[in-house]
Amino acid sequence: MSSNADELERADVSQPSTSSDAILRTDGLTKRFGPLTATDNISLEIQENSITSIIGPNGAGKTTLFNLITGKYEPTDGKIVFQNESIGGKDPHQIVRHGIVRSFQITNFFTELTTIENVRLAAQARYTGFGPTDFLKHHASLEEPISDAMRVLERVQLDDVAHEPASNLSYGQRRHLEIAIALASDPDLLLMDEPTAGMSPEETNETVELIEDIATDITLIIIEHDMEIVMGISDQIAVLNNGSLLTQGAPAEIQQDERVQRAYLRGGGRD
Amino acid sequence: MQQVFDFIRRQRPSGTGNQILSSGGRLVLVLAIASLAALGPVIQSVQPFWLNLLIRMLTFALLALSLDFIFGYAGLLSFGHAAMYGAGGYVAALLITKVTASALVVLPAAIITGVITAAVIGWVSVRARGIYFAMLTLAFAQMIYIIAFTDLPAAILSMETVTGGDNGLYGIQLYELFGIDFRNRLNYYYLTLGLVALSLAGLVRLANSPFGRVLQGIRENEGRIEFIGYDVDRYKVIAFAISGGFAGLAGGLYVPFQSVANPELLHWTVSGELVVMVLLGGMGTFWGPMVGAGLVVFLEDRLGGVASWEVILGGLFVAVVIFAPRGLAGMIVAVRNDPRAALGKAIQALKNYVEAVRG
Repeated sequence: MSSNADELERADVSQPSTSSDAILRTDGLTKRFGPLTATDNISLEIQENSITSIIGPNGAGKTTLFNLITGKYEPTDGKIVFQNESIGGKDPHQIVRHGIVRSFQITNFFTELTTIENVRLAAQARYTGFGPTDFLKHHASLEEPISDAMRVLERVQLDDVAHEPASNLSYGQRRHLEIAIALASDPDLLLMDEPTAGMSPEETNETVELIEDIATDITLIIIEHDMEIVMGISDQIAVLNNGSLLTQGAPAEIQQDERVQRAYLRGGGRD
Repeated sequence: MQQVFDFIRRQRPSGTGNQILSSGGRLVLVLAIASLAALGPVIQSVQPFWLNLLIRMLTFALLALSLDFIFGYAGLLSFGHAAMYGAGGYVAALLITKVTASALVVLPAAIITGVITAAVIGWVSVRARGIYFAMLTLAFAQMIYIIAFTDLPAAILSMETVTGGDNGLYGIQLYELFGIDFRNRLNYYYLTLGLVALSLAGLVRLANSPFGRVLQGIRENEGRIEFIGYDVDRYKVIAFAISGGFAGLAGGLYVPFQSVANPELLHWTVSGELVVMVLLGGMGTFWGPMVGAGLVVFLEDRLGGVASWEVILGGLFVAVVIFAPRGLAGMIVAVRNDPRAALGKAIQALKNYVEAVRG
C-alpha cells in the first residue's frame, strides 16, 4: 500500500498542470470486497463550481464511488484529495466537516420529526459539539441552526410545510427535503444520488431547476440515469463501467464516444 | 430476534414534537410529585410500611427513567442496566462502611461509579448494533455479577473480603446529611423523592438540549445522522455514561435503605425487569416508564406471595405487547386524543387475539 501510494504521489508531482483548480481528486481509487473489485483504479478530477455527472450501467461502481468519497467505505487502495487535503479513510462525520455532503437515492430522513427539525438537526452539527452548553441549553435557544434551516427550506421551496411532520410530505417534497438536509451542512461539494429518480416530469423539472440553482455556489457530483438531464446540466461526465473509469469529458465528447455507446448497449441488455 | 428487537424499538407512544414533554404534561408531573410529597406524612400515620414500598417504587422509577433515556430516547437497548445500579450500590456500601456515611460524598461517588462503569461498557459495546449491543451489555453485567459473587477483588488484593461474596455486605448504616434522622422513613422518602424529581428534571433538560436532539436523531435514523456530521459512537457512549450515572445514583440510594449490598442488585433479572417496566410504561416518554416501574414494584409486593412472581411478570409483559404495545403512556395518550377510537381499537385487539387463539 505505502509503496503504491508513494508512486502515486510522485505521479501527481509530474503532472500538476491540470489539477490547479480541482476541488476533488481521486488517484487510483480502488475498493475490493473480497474477490469483487467494486471500483478499480479510478482517477478523477472534479473542477470547482462545476456539475459532474457519473453515469454507467448498474453495478458499474457509481454508488461505491460515492461511499468511498463520503467515508462509508475505506479505500482498499488509492487516494482521495479534497481541497488539497487527503481524506481517504476518514469517518463520514469527519468528511462532512471537511465540506463534502451527500444526499441519498432513497428518502432517508427523520420521519418522526417535523420538516424544519430535520433540517435544523443537520445545521446544528456546525454549531455544537460536546461543551457544557450543548448539554444544558434548550436546542431552540440556538438561533443560527433555526435560521439556517429556514433559509434552506425557502431555497428548496418547503418553507410552507416547515412545521409539518416530515412523514406527511409528498414524494417530491420528500426528495427536496433530502436535498435540504444535505444543504444544511453548508457543503462545498455535494454528492447527489439519483435526485430525480421516480419523479413525475413536473417534479423532475423543478428538481433540475433546483440543481442548477444549487450549482451556482456549490460543486456538484450527480449520479443520474436520465440522459436528457445528464446532457443538459453537466459540465463534465464521467462514465464508469465494471468498476473502471471508461472516460471523462464534456457532454458533447461523451455522446460521440464509441466505447460509451458500447458499454451502454451491453449494460442495457443486462438490466 | 432482530425483527423482534426492531418491533420493540418502534413502540413509542409520542411521535413528533420538539419537546419530550408538553407544558401540560410538565404541569401534571409537577402536581404528581407535589402530591407524592404531600401524601408522605399521611401514609406514615396510617401505615408506615407503605413508605418502604413507595421508596422501592421511587428507586425503580429512577432506574426505569435511566434506562428510558438510553433505550426509549436514544434507541439503544441496554440489557445490562443492573451493572451500573449494582456498581453504584456496592461503592456506596463500601464507602459508608469504610470511609464516611456523608450523603454529600457517597451519592456523588455512586453517580460517578455508574458513569465510569457505563462508559467502559458503552465504549466497548456501541460498535455493535441493535440486538448485539443488548447482548454485549448483558454479558458485561453478568461479568460484574460474577466478580461481586465470587469476590474477585478480594482475591486480587489478597484481602479477606471486599464485596462479601454471595452474602454481600451487611449492616450498611444510613446516610448522614445536615443532621437529618434518616431512621425516620419519611425523611428517607423525601430524600429519594427529591432526587428522583431532580433526575427527571435534569433528563428532560438534557433530552431537549442540542445533545439530546442528536440522540433522538440517532434513534430515528442512525445511518443518516453520521452523514450530517455527528460522531454517532461518541454520542452513544456519552449518553450511555449519563444514563449509567442515574442508575448508579439509584443504587446509592437503595443500598443504605435496605442496609444490604448483595449480588442480587446485579442479577440479570433486574435488567430484565427494567426493560419490562419501560415497555409497560411506554418507552421514550420518561413519565411512562416511571409509572410502569411503580406499578411493577407495587404488583410484585402485593402479588409476589400469590404465585411465582416471574410468571405474573411474564404474563403482564405478554399482555402489554399484545394489547398495548405502546404501553400505559400510549394508552393514556390514545384515550386523551380520541376515547372512542381508543376503545374501538382495544376491542378489536381483543377480538383479533381471541380469533388467533381459537385458530
